[in-house]
Amino acid sequence: MSKSNTILYLDGVSVSFDGFRAINNLSLVLDKGEMRAIIGPNGAGKTTMMDIVTGKTRPDSGEVFFDGEIDLTRHDEAEIAMMGIGRKFQKPTVFESHSIEDNLVLSLKGPRSIFPALFHRRSFEETRRIDEILATTRLEAKRHDLAANLSHGQKQWLEIGMLLAQDPKLLLVDEPVAGMTDAETEETARLLKEIAKTRSVVVVEHDMHFVRELGVKVTCLHEGSVLSEGSLDFVSADERVVEVYLGR
Amino acid sequence: MKILRALGLTFLLTLMFAAASSADEAALRQTVTKFATAKGFPAIEAVVRELGATGDPAVEKVLNALSEGNLYVRKSDDGVFIGKEGGATASLLDPLSGEPAGEALKAEITKIRVNNSLRGTIRDVLGTLTLGSDDPKVRLAAATTMFKSPDADAIPALDAAIAKETEASVKARMQDARASAVLVSDLPEAEKLAAIELLGKRGDRDTLSLLTGFQANAQGALKNAAGAAVEHINSTLALWQTGQNVWYGISLGSVLLLAAIGLAITFGVMGVINMAHGEMVMLGAYTTFVVQEVIRTHAPALFDWSLAIALPLAFLVAGGVGLAIERGIIRFLYGRPLETLLATWGVSLILQQAVRTIFGPTNREVGNPSWMSGAFDLGQLAITWNRLWILVFALCVFAVLLYVMKRTSWGLQMRAVTANRRMAASMGIRTPWVDALTFALGSGIAGIAGVALSQIDNVSPNLGQGYIIDSFMVVVFGGVGNLWGTLVGAMSLGILNKFLEPYAGAVLGKILVLVLIILFIQKRPRGLFALKGRAVEA
Amino acid sequence: MTGRFFAAGADRRIAITIAILLAVAIVVPILNIAVPPASAFHVPAYIVALVGKYLCYALLALALDLVWGYCGILSLGHGAFFALGGYAMGMYLMRQIGERGVYGNPLLPDFMVFLNWKELPWFWHGFDHFWFAALMVMLVPGLLAFIFGWFAFRSRVTGVYLSIITQAMTYALLLAFFRNDMGFGGNNGLTDFKDILGFNVQANTTRSALFAASAIALALGVFITWRIIGSKYGKLLMAVRDAESRTRFLGWRAENVKLFAFTVSAVMAGVAGALYVPQVGIINPGEFDPANSIEVVVWTAVGGRGTLVGPIIGALLVNGGKSWFTGAFPEFWLFALGGLFVAVTLFLPKGIVGMWDQWQNSRRERRAAATPEQGIPPIVEVAMPVKQKPAAKSSPTPLDGGEPQPAE
Ligand SMILES: Nc1ncnc2c1ncn2[C@@H]1O[C@H](COP(=O)(O)OP(=O)(O)OP(=O)(O)O)[C@@H](O)[C@H]1O
Ligand SMILES: [Mg+2]
Repeated sequence: MSKSNTILYLDGVSVSFDGFRAINNLSLVLDKGEMRAIIGPNGAGKTTMMDIVTGKTRPDSGEVFFDGEIDLTRHDEAEIAMMGIGRKFQKPTVFESHSIEDNLVLSLKGPRSIFPALFHRRSFEETRRIDEILATTRLEAKRHDLAANLSHGQKQWLEIGMLLAQDPKLLLVDEPVAGMTDAETEETARLLKEIAKTRSVVVVEHDMHFVRELGVKVTCLHEGSVLSEGSLDFVSADERVVEVYLGR
Repeated sequence: MKILRALGLTFLLTLMFAAASSADEAALRQTVTKFATAKGFPAIEAVVRELGATGDPAVEKVLNALSEGNLYVRKSDDGVFIGKEGGATASLLDPLSGEPAGEALKAEITKIRVNNSLRGTIRDVLGTLTLGSDDPKVRLAAATTMFKSPDADAIPALDAAIAKETEASVKARMQDARASAVLVSDLPEAEKLAAIELLGKRGDRDTLSLLTGFQANAQGALKNAAGAAVEHINSTLALWQTGQNVWYGISLGSVLLLAAIGLAITFGVMGVINMAHGEMVMLGAYTTFVVQEVIRTHAPALFDWSLAIALPLAFLVAGGVGLAIERGIIRFLYGRPLETLLATWGVSLILQQAVRTIFGPTNREVGNPSWMSGAFDLGQLAITWNRLWILVFALCVFAVLLYVMKRTSWGLQMRAVTANRRMAASMGIRTPWVDALTFALGSGIAGIAGVALSQIDNVSPNLGQGYIIDSFMVVVFGGVGNLWGTLVGAMSLGILNKFLEPYAGAVLGKILVLVLIILFIQKRPRGLFALKGRAVEA
Repeated sequence: MTGRFFAAGADRRIAITIAILLAVAIVVPILNIAVPPASAFHVPAYIVALVGKYLCYALLALALDLVWGYCGILSLGHGAFFALGGYAMGMYLMRQIGERGVYGNPLLPDFMVFLNWKELPWFWHGFDHFWFAALMVMLVPGLLAFIFGWFAFRSRVTGVYLSIITQAMTYALLLAFFRNDMGFGGNNGLTDFKDILGFNVQANTTRSALFAASAIALALGVFITWRIIGSKYGKLLMAVRDAESRTRFLGWRAENVKLFAFTVSAVMAGVAGALYVPQVGIINPGEFDPANSIEVVVWTAVGGRGTLVGPIIGALLVNGGKSWFTGAFPEFWLFALGGLFVAVTLFLPKGIVGMWDQWQNSRRERRAAATPEQGIPPIVEVAMPVKQKPAAKSSPTPLDGGEPQPAE
C-alpha cells in the first residue's frame, strides 16, 4: 500500500491496556477527500482508534500517518489538532459555561498561543465565519445562550460546528446522531455529506439507517481489527458481520 | 603451740587437697610460697605470671587477695596466707582454698605490697584464668576483656583455653583475643599476618581501633596487611551502618504506613482527601492518654495492658468521629473532591481546637509499657523495642486490611466502588453505605495509628498536623487504590528520608524528599501503583 | 441570554469596585493625616494599618481567584508566593537599616553578624536598590510558579493531586526558610525595619502611603484580572477549567494556558506580600505555613470564586471577623474558622457574590415571566415560573472547579 494520496494511513497498529488488546493489528487507509463510516459492536475499538489518531493514546506498535507523510505517533493532541484533524467526542463535549458564539470563537482556526489570545480582537472575517457556521448548524437563534442550556442534539451540532470552525482537513466524528430524533438524524447526515465535499471524514455510528443515508464505504471493526470492508450492502451481507454485530 | 597447730592443719589440708584436686596442687602451693621470698615488684610479678601460667582457677583467690593488699607472709615460716585484719590479730586463710588457717599477731606477719602496674598484671592474669571457668558466659567475658587489652603473655593461656573450649562462639572470641595478643607480642611476622587476617574478618569498632593502632606502628608487609584489614573492616562497618539506616528508614516507614494507610483507603475508594485525617490520629493518641490516666488512678497493675485496651477504644472513637463527619458533611459534597478537602480542613481545625480546649495546649504524658521500653543489639544494629513493636503492629494492620479488602464481601464492594462507582451502584451495591463505612474504617485505623504514635511522639493537639503532609506524600507516591502501593510508598519514603539525612541533615533531607516527590508526580501523575483505565482518567 | 446579563452586571460591579478602591486610596490617607484627631471624620492610624493589611490579603485572594475560580486550579500554596514577595521586600528593608542595627555593622544585617558570617551571601546583593527588590518581588514568585507549573501542568497533574503538591511546595519552603543557613534570618525572619525609600516605616505618613499603595495595587489587580478574563484568553482559561481535553483537541496547549494564569497569579501574590511586609513590620517563615494558604482559599470561597469582587469581600469579611474574634474570644477563633470552612462548602458553594447573583437572576426572571402575563388566567401564571425554574440552575460554574469533564 502506498501512503501517498492518503489522508489517513494506519498499518499494523496495536495497543493494549493492562494486557487487554483494545486494538489488534489494525490497518485502515483513508483517501484524500473520502468519507468513511465505521461500524462495529461495543468495545470493538472504534473510539480507541480515534484516540490513537488524535494523539490521546500512543500505539504500542504500528504506523499512523496523516496526509501521507506526517507520523502522528510523534505528536501530541494539540499539535495534531493544529495539523488539521478535528474530532467530535462520543459524549458531546462543549464549553458549557460559554455562549454558543464563544464556543465557536475558541474553535476558530488561528494562532494558538497565549499572547495573541490575550490581545485578540475579533475581525470582520471571523464574525462572518461564525455567522456562517451558526447558519450551517442552525444555531443562529441561540447564539448568545450558554452551551449548557442546549439540548443533547444541539450540543452534538455545536460540536460539529466547532469542528468546522477549526477548518480541519480530516474530521473524526464519533457517534454524531446518538440521542437524536429521526429528523435530526437526517439533518445531520445531510450536514456531514455537505462537509465531506471539501474534507475527509471518518464517521463512527451504530445507527444503520444513518450509515445508509451517508452512502459511503463502510469498515466494520471487531475486537480491535478490521472484520470487513466495502459498500454497506457488501458488509452487511458478510456472514461474520452479521454474526458479531448486526444479528440475524 | 599455735605454730604446731597451724602446721598440722596445713598438713591436713594439703592431704585433703591432694586427694580432692589435681596432682599439680603441690606445685601450685610451691609457687605460692615463692611470694614469701620474692623481693621487689618485678620478682612478685614473675610469681604472679607463673601462677597465671598454670591456668588453674584455684589461684584466683590468692591473686585477688594480692591485688587487694590482703596477702601476708608469716615471718616465722615464710608461709603465705590471706589475712583478715581485726585489731591486733589477723585471722589467716589458706591462700588456695580459703579455709581458715589460724590467727597471727600483726607483728608476726608482713603484707606483700603491690603497685598499680602489678595490679594491672594481676587483672590480666585473672582474665586469663577465668578462661578456665565452668560458666561459658564468664569465659566469653574473659575473652572479651582480653581482646580489648591484649597481652602477649596471655598467649599460652589462651592457647590452652582454645584447645579445651567446646563452645564455638566462645572459642571464636578466644581466637580473636589470641590474635590481638599476637599483634602485641614479638612472634614471627607470619603469625601476625594470620592474626591480622583473622581480626579483619571480625569487623567491629573495637577491632578497628586495635588494628588502626597497630597499623600506625607496623612496617612493611604487616602495615599493608593491617591497612587492608582496616579497609575491610571499614567497609563492613559501612555495611552495618547502611543496615542501621535501613532499619531507621523501615521504622520511619512503618510510622508513615500507619499514618497513611487509612488515608489511602478513603482516598482510594471515595476519591476524598480527608484533611482531618491527622486529627483522627491525634484522637487515637489522646484516647491512649485517657486510658492510661484512668489506669494510673484506678488500676495501676493493668498499666502494661493500657495499649491493648486503648486500641479498640481508639478505633471506636476515631471511627465514630469519622462516621459522623461522613454522614454530616462529606456525603453532601460527593463528587466535589476539592470542596471536601476544604470542609475536612475545617473539621480538622475544629477538632484541634476542641482537644486544645479540653486537654490544654501542652504535651500530654503517655507512658511506655515495660515491654515497649528498652533496646537490644542485633549484630551491630541497635534496635529499640517500641520501634520494633510499631513495625510489627503496622504490618499486622496492613495484613488485616489486605485481608478485609481482598477476602471479604465488604472489601469486594469497596474495590468495586473504587474501580467504577457508577457501575457498582447500578449493580446494587449501596455506595453510600460503602462510603460511610469506608470512611469510618479509614478514620478508625488512623485512631489506632494514634495509639502507636503516642509511644514515640509528643501527644499534643498538633500531633496530626505533623503527619498529614507526609501521609499525603505516601499516598500520592504509592498510588491510589492499592494497599501495596501504600506499603511500598511508605517504606521507600522512610528509607529515602533516612538515607538523605546523614548527607543533607534532617530538614534538608525532608525538603529533598518533598522535591523528589513533586518531580516524581510529574513522571507518574498517578503514583507508583496506579490504577489504569478510563474510569480513572475521566 | 442570561450569560449576557451576568456579564453586564459583573462588569458594572467591577468598575464600581475599582472606583471605590481608588477613592479609598485617596480619601483614607487624607482623613488620617489632614483631619485632626478630635474630628469625627478622623481615621485612626491603627485602622489604616489594619485595613491596609486586609487590602494585601484581598489582593492575595484575588490572585487565588484567578487560578481557582477561573481555571479550576485549587492552589494550596499561594501563601508561598505571598511570602516570597514579602521576603524580597523584607530584604530590601533589611538593607536599608544599614548601620542602625544592634551590632551596627554597615554591611551585614544583624542576624548574619550573630551567625558570625563575614560577608553578604550572593543572593543578597542588589537588594539595597529599591528597583531591584521590586523586580525580585515579582520575578521570584513568578519564576517559582513558572517552573513548578511547567512541570506540573505539562505532566497533567490535576485536581486534588495538584492541590496536594502545591501544599507540599509551601511546606518544603517553610522547612527551608526555618533553616538559619538559608540566609533569611531563620526562625525569626526579617524584622526591625527602619526606612522604606528613605521614609520611616513607622511614620503615619508612610503608613498612609503604604495603605494607598495597597489600595491602588488592588485596584490595578482587579483591573488586570478583569481584562484578562474578558479577553479571548480568559474564555480559553474557563474552557480549560470546564473541559480541558476539549481545548487540547482544538489545538490549544492547555498546559500553557494554565501556566500563564498561574504565573500571573503568583506575581500578584508576590506584590501583595511585598506591600504587606512594611505594614506589619516583619516577615518570618510562619508565612509559608500551609494553614495560611488554606485560609486564603476560604476567603475566596466565602466571597465567591470566579467573581473577582467576591474574593475581596471575602478577604475583608473573614479577616475583619478574625480581628474581632481574636480580640473578643481568642479561643473560639479556630472553631469559627473551621465552622466557616464547613458552612461555606455546604451551604454557600458559590460564595456571597455568587449567591447574590443567583438570587438577582431568579428574581429578574420571575419578574420577566410575570410582566407579559397580566391578562392571562391565574392558573398559567402559577405554572409559568415553575417551568422557568430550571434556568436558575443554569449558572454553569461547576461546583468542583478542578475536575475536568470526561472527554468522551
Ligand atoms: N484508557 C483505557 N484504559 C483501559 N481500557 C480501555 C481504555 N480505552 C479503551 N479501553 C478498552 O478498549 C476497548 C475498546 O473501547 P472503545 O471505546 O474503543 O470501543 P468502541 O468501539 O468505541 O465502543 P462503543 O461502541 O461502545 O463506543 C474497551 O473494552 C475499553 O474498555
Ligand atoms: Mg466508542
